[in-house]
Amino acid sequence: MRLSFLSPRTLTAAALSVGVTCAALPASAGLNQVIELHILQGTEDFAAATRALSDAAAADCQPAAVQGPYNAAFDAWMEISHLRFGPLEKDGRINAIAFWPDAKGFIGRSLGGLIAEEDPIVQHPQDFSSVSVAARGLFALEMLLYDPQYSGYAADSYTCHLVQAVSFDLARMADGIDADWRDEQAPAMRSAGQPGNTTYLSDDEVTQALYTALLAGLEFTEDQRVGRPLGTFDRPRATRAEARRSGRSLRNVVLSLQALRDFSEALADVQIPVTEAAFDTALEQAEGLNDPVFAGVDDPTGRLKIEILQQRIQAARRAVEGEIGAALGVTAGFNSADGD
Amino acid sequence: MTRKIYAAATAIAIATTPAFAAEGAVDKADVLGTYADIAAAAYGDSLSTAQALQVAVGRLIAAPSPEALEAAKAAWKSARVPYQQSEVFRFGNPIVDDWEGKVNAWPLDEGLIDYVDASYGGSTDENQYAVLNVIANPTFTLSGEEVDASEITPDLLENTLQEADGVESNVATGYHAIEFMLWGQDLHGTDKGAGERPWTDYAKGDDCTNANCDRRGAYLKAATDLLVSDLEYMAAQWGDTGAARQTLLEDQDAGVAAILTGMGSLSYGEQAGERMKLGVLLNDPEEEHDCFSDNTYNSHFYDGLGMHNVYNGQYVGVDGRVIWGASVSDLVAAADPEVDATLKADLDATMFKLLAIKVAAEGGFSYDMMLARGNKEGEALIMGAVDALVTQTRGIERAVSALSLDDIGFEGSDSLDNPDAVFQ
Repeated sequence: MRLSFLSPRTLTAAALSVGVTCAALPASAGLNQVIELHILQGTEDFAAATRALSDAAAADCQPAAVQGPYNAAFDAWMEISHLRFGPLEKDGRINAIAFWPDAKGFIGRSLGGLIAEEDPIVQHPQDFSSVSVAARGLFALEMLLYDPQYSGYAADSYTCHLVQAVSFDLARMADGIDADWRDEQAPAMRSAGQPGNTTYLSDDEVTQALYTALLAGLEFTEDQRVGRPLGTFDRPRATRAEARRSGRSLRNVVLSLQALRDFSEALADVQIPVTEAAFDTALEQAEGLNDPVFAGVDDPTGRLKIEILQQRIQAARRAVEGEIGAALGVTAGFNSADGD
Repeated sequence: MTRKIYAAATAIAIATTPAFAAEGAVDKADVLGTYADIAAAAYGDSLSTAQALQVAVGRLIAAPSPEALEAAKAAWKSARVPYQQSEVFRFGNPIVDDWEGKVNAWPLDEGLIDYVDASYGGSTDENQYAVLNVIANPTFTLSGEEVDASEITPDLLENTLQEADGVESNVATGYHAIEFMLWGQDLHGTDKGAGERPWTDYAKGDDCTNANCDRRGAYLKAATDLLVSDLEYMAAQWGDTGAARQTLLEDQDAGVAAILTGMGSLSYGEQAGERMKLGVLLNDPEEEHDCFSDNTYNSHFYDGLGMHNVYNGQYVGVDGRVIWGASVSDLVAAADPEVDATLKADLDATMFKLLAIKVAAEGGFSYDMMLARGNKEGEALIMGAVDALVTQTRGIERAVSALSLDDIGFEGSDSLDNPDAVFQ
């Protein structure tokens, strides 16, 4: 998401179409709700799901036993993956938890290096954070659990211990995110504007940070999760789909749209019929796809359906800008995907 | 718009001159004028230093020698000083952003261009042409079409090889392609040391190493000529009647927003994230912005300085000329002195953090060493600068709010407004 200022034209159109007023509502109205119901619930779920994953891997490291809890942990990640600031940004956690896209093949290279050298770091999972982010988190684990090049490992093999170390490290990060949100981030947001709070000088800054995360999350799903496999008409890129090895590409789009719809409702604190309808249309298109890894990009009919999905997500983003942005009186700030 | 160019001696007076804000209302047109003047000067300096590089490259090809190669490398490093300071003009100005990929695209799969070490690997899922090696292959098939590369020309680089097969890392032109041609691959990993391309890669007759020295020279010449012509174009865009300047001046609020947009996008997503943090997190020296020459610390430093320049409305040229005038800082100070004071302090703090990296690197602790797994000192140096860049981004957001620029219409470039275009 680039810093995209709303044009007056968009504002007017939105105001006319849904009859909302452009006057800013009190920014704090929805903040407690969004923090409690959406964010803290999400960080708690992710911490619990990754703990279950780590426990499962410790008991039996082989794919058959780990894949179930792995998918549950990935599902829980989708509840909060759009909160790319503060606790998720600290210590490079977001890069370590979800290193994707991986255009230069760092994941395979990093894992291959650890396995070839039987790097002793796996015996010290609490220090696993020292290895490259490409060998950590959900996508490293996906490679080990699903790619035939790795997934045939035996119990007690090096790769088995690597799976355990990656799972442990993931649970440790999730626990840190949950703790940081509860102990630092949420209090900082709740005390915006009070003396001594240098992070948030006003409620408006909190609203802007959350609103920026909402728009950036929509844009990430639109451009990356759907856009990368689409490539161009002449050069579709099915192998660029997110989490295709575990067959989660479409599932991640659906879960992210559901999470962002919930986030929108919690943040807006007013009726947002246009936004809800836009999300529903996008979700309907996604759920009707029956193409779990976007393999259809190679085929004209399949491709058209995926392009329509992308347009629906874009429409949801425009609805959020017109309806929620206008109601809250905020525009997006800078986010970590600005730049190239 | 008033152009203010001072002799170097006058610069001393700047420190004691009261800010424009103190003299009364700040004119946005003057602020935009200063910004455009800095752009014109930075691109003008980029052009003149690239022309010096062009001369040095010409000498290397005409009479290859160790000294000629070193002279070309030194000229390349000098050319980076003004160019990196110009990067702040990128994200807010569509004319710059649409053009930038021609001159500073990165990272690159250098095997597209020339020979690479076996450790580099072959073609990848993402890039079928990662080891195309155009210097060794006068003809080849690209996306199903036969390409005649018997003559290596700027046109071949620009229109056939650049982003070949729609892959961004197929970088055939610009500073980093030239950097690879001069230094070669850096095979030292996270140990100290840059690329060690022998001068004999450009030698004539039997002295030629790694074959195809004439084609290698032709490639280097074509890439350097193209860089010069691309910079000529951009310097002209910021001249008195240039399109970039005119676009900026058309709408004053949008123009001021463009200045802050450029600063914020470069600070956070680009420099703090993509260029600095990711390298540390991956422990991979290939993620260095100037990985062949080990000049990364300078690239980061001058990127930071570019942001400092445009906010404060001053620029020191490569010949000592100083440009100075009404600044965004003056505007923000008039609206909210506290926001201005904090942002100025944040920008200064970033420069000190970037300077710490530069000092360490020039003292012998090279940027690749800083990226090594478990290197706490390197990580602390780099992450210190990353944190400072993130902090200044918050300050830039507050400046946008202080100037009530949040809700103005802002027409960006393709990649600003239509991010899909980036992936197509």
